[in-house]
Amino acid sequence: MARRQAVTAWLFLSPAVVFFPLMFFLPIGSQLNAALFGGVTSSEYVGAGNFTRALADPEVLHSFLITLGFAAGSLVVGIVLGLLLALVLNQSLPGRTLFRAVILIPYLTSISIIGLLWRNILDPQVGILNRLLDAVGLPGQAWLSTHPLATIIGIEVWATVGYTMVLFLAGLQGIPEVYFEAARIDGAGPWRRFLHLTLPLLAPTTLFVSIIGVIGALQQFALPYIVTGGGPGNDTSLYAHRVFRVAFNDNQFGYASALSLLLLVVILVLSVVQLKIGDRTHDGA
Amino acid sequence: MTALDLQPRAIRPERLFPGDRVVSYLLLLLTGLLTVLPLLYMVSLALQSDAETFAGDPVLIPAAPQWDNFVRLFEAAPFGRFFLNSLVMAGAITISHLVFDPLIGYAFAKFDFPGKRIAFVAILTTLMVPFFVRMLPIYAIFSQLGWTDTYRGLVVPFLIDAYGIFLMRQFISPLPNELMEAARVDGASELRIYAQIILPQLKPALAVLGLFSFVFQWNEFLWPLIATSRTEMRTMPIGLTLFNQEYFTQWNLTAAGALILFLPTALLFVLTQRFLVRGIALSGLK
Repeated sequence: MARRQAVTAWLFLSPAVVFFPLMFFLPIGSQLNAALFGGVTSSEYVGAGNFTRALADPEVLHSFLITLGFAAGSLVVGIVLGLLLALVLNQSLPGRTLFRAVILIPYLTSISIIGLLWRNILDPQVGILNRLLDAVGLPGQAWLSTHPLATIIGIEVWATVGYTMVLFLAGLQGIPEVYFEAARIDGAGPWRRFLHLTLPLLAPTTLFVSIIGVIGALQQFALPYIVTGGGPGNDTSLYAHRVFRVAFNDNQFGYASALSLLLLVVILVLSVVQLKIGDRTHDGA
Repeated sequence: MTALDLQPRAIRPERLFPGDRVVSYLLLLLTGLLTVLPLLYMVSLALQSDAETFAGDPVLIPAAPQWDNFVRLFEAAPFGRFFLNSLVMAGAITISHLVFDPLIGYAFAKFDFPGKRIAFVAILTTLMVPFFVRMLPIYAIFSQLGWTDTYRGLVVPFLIDAYGIFLMRQFISPLPNELMEAARVDGASELRIYAQIILPQLKPALAVLGLFSFVFQWNEFLWPLIATSRTEMRTMPIGLTLFNQEYFTQWNLTAAGALILFLPTALLFVLTQRFLVRGIALSGLK
């Protein structure tokens, strides 16, 4: 019986046994190979050359730093807004289901729609935003030329704040009701309950949001590709956009593979940190 | 991730937000408008005449709606083909998820077998590997196989989804074992037990998995951009973006194309409005 069980289980698992090694483990191995041997076509062994080059490449360093700036900016604004919306929508308000769903629409919208739409709205010549600002007496801006990174951060927040809100809503519903009752009995007002109870208890959610935010920022390619082309100069050429350009514009496949593997290492470290913290909060609560 | 369950259980009125209802509604209204108005402006843009789009004097509402733009769009670029390609890519991947994810999730939920833990951890680790870091080698391999510019090439890297496997496992684990065991005693085959006892109980979960898989694959940008180079193999998001690069003054036609690209999202929103939020929290889709 146990034997029959095992055979059945492995038969059901067989698609995964084929798929995951071929589409995950083999490609990463072959990527390491490509990084060590220069490129797919040239097969000269360069060893760690591509990796040491990456660590000393000012353009790569620049792209990494602005990616961290992009992550920090979109996280701070996104967390404040997402938490605020989650708090509001955790009340019994008529219409809250509709509001929650509406705020999530951009998260389910193609990045190509989001990018193109905002590029049009922000355009200094044909864009509607400056026109509206003008109508209320405010000066227009060439948004994507004068504040490119901040503008991209704004678009990112617009696109993802709904998802942050959902994560905070889940976090809020995980807080046991008794804590609040105890605090109320002790005479803590709403602000104190928020600052000393809700906020600390949401710390694991905030950390989770931050880590997936950084991981997401490190892979953000489409936004700079569609909205700014990485410009002006390299001001919005985020890390993933830089890797893409190294691979497909400069045709340096081996170097791009090394950059991509470095990204994988950073993401794995962040994911492990996240898992560890997840475990700890499970044990604690 | 903790507390995935977003059950609308008892709401605590003044528990968490130290503000009053007016402030709450103002905030929601403001956010709602900021979300919806740009999308509504896209509708206005799609209906503007060339003169209105080019003039450098943008308008909020077109003088006479140009429904004709939706026809001109298909004449200017092969949007019908882009649409079909997206449909094939997203459709094939969705079907594959619906076939394989519950089957594999079932094996993990209801069977004990040697190697289970290792297999489970191996699949778990793939969750940490985003597509971006396996894209270059897969592209190199597919180029050698001649799979670029083919549907095969578009679909194969996404055929099985670890998120879907875990979602299905979560749904299957609590299902009672009695029916399965009775069927086994009656001599039913394992595949039959799966198809006739397990699958029918998964309908709501499969609906969520299918809808979200479809929309996320429909929106996928990076892979179809790299895996295709011939115009007739481009998908909607890529076709639209490249159309805009070529006809960069024709914002009205770009917006018309964007509306067509938006259709599945709109449909998902209408179909699942009530459980949209819960669906996202559950599926954990990135």
